[in-house]
Amino acid sequence: MSKFIKAAVASSVLAASVMGANAAHAATASADARANILEQVTVTNTSDLDFATIVTGATAGNVVVDAAGAVTCAAALVCSGTTTAAGFTVAGTTGQTVDIDADTNVTLTNAGGNAMVATLTESATTLTISGVAATDVFTVGGSLAVGANQADGAYLGNFDVTVNYQ
Amino acid sequence: MKTSGLRRLNTLYAGFAIMGSALFLSSAPAQAAGDLLVAPTRIVLDGQRGTEVILNNIGSETATYRISLELRRMTAEGKLQDVSPEDANSFEKAAKGMIRYAPRRVTLPPNQPQAIRLGVRPPKDLADGEYRAHLLFRAIPKARSVTEQASPSGGFTIALTPIYGVTIPVIIRQGNLQATAGIANARVETSDSGQAFAFDLSRTGDRSTYGEIRVLKQGESEPILVARGIAIYPEVPSRKVTLPVPAEIAAKLTGPISVEYYEPDNAGGGLITKSQLVLR
Repeated sequence: MSKFIKAAVASSVLAASVMGANAAHAATASADARANILEQVTVTNTSDLDFATIVTGATAGNVVVDAAGAVTCAAALVCSGTTTAAGFTVAGTTGQTVDIDADTNVTLTNAGGNAMVATLTESATTLTISGVAATDVFTVGGSLAVGANQADGAYLGNFDVTVNYQ
Repeated sequence: MKTSGLRRLNTLYAGFAIMGSALFLSSAPAQAAGDLLVAPTRIVLDGQRGTEVILNNIGSETATYRISLELRRMTAEGKLQDVSPEDANSFEKAAKGMIRYAPRRVTLPPNQPQAIRLGVRPPKDLADGEYRAHLLFRAIPKARSVTEQASPSGGFTIALTPIYGVTIPVIIRQGNLQATAGIANARVETSDSGQAFAFDLSRTGDRSTYGEIRVLKQGESEPILVARGIAIYPEVPSRKVTLPVPAEIAAKLTGPISVEYYEPDNAGGGLITKSQLVLR
């Protein structure tokens, strides 16, 4: 490569000297085209963690929504409606391995200080991006502990879900 | 710790007292505000004093994102564990102290990218070594409306909001740092969530290694398994790498194999280490 350049430079010098000092120089303009290609990641939320309809009673019980979104209802409670697990899609460079981190617990509290705790479970802690959107997904399910005669109020809680690049 | 003052109402359960029991009803549609794109996915500053990261709102509505600098430590399992500011060691404190970034909060309409500028100001007497912090990008959930915040009479509502985001490492290298890696103890593991190819990745030296794992079966030229983005950070001498594999790949993972660890193409693509192993 460098030999070739040297040869090319030498021959052009030779050509210039042969053509003499009167040789016209062609005006040239050069422009650089630059693009910085970056690897990207996208995270999209496709569904919420939804415990659907729960009827409480005098006995405490758990409502479990598994990673696939299926519900298991304690005998003391009545569950109805369609439950879903929180769903996320990760897209990025094919073959890229990412770490998935979700909070293990979320405490839901109302204004009166009453609380319910949901224990969260993620479907995967590591994901290797395949490039197929349908498989580059993970879900977060949970188990909601509903107390006996759970007090009224607006229960609020939020949980963190993070896709970590190494 | 990472709780934001504003919360988005994803799921609303309205409850009614019926014959001594409370009924929770689900309403309010799910709205995926906060979907995001981040590029690049890793920053290494080896002498350079700055760069920028692109954040794009890929959701369908305007969202506000917060950018923060977090500390993470690698565990022996290869997970990245959150480190609170009080527990930070001197290297982590130094990393946080020298990284400047702006803006730290940005509101973007759909498909609007924003460059986050990142600069490094190392102190004059900075000791040689690898300094690292993780940049976290996360949407701030929308504020709840007044009616949604109000506590209903004779029932209750539940709002469970996922706050989701991405972290990317920001690595600053000071001085001429070296590292070597080793691969051992490869095996196929079976758990509830399926099968995984696992091995131990070890490291010596004063910096991290990062790259791509290729698993080749003896006599075949194409790797049967490729995993990019595998790092081992200086805080651990060894970590476990677990790569979930579908059943058809797991079936091929028997007998003599070669596990190879390459640098990424943009860092030269050189071989870091490789190991010939026999899987049972």
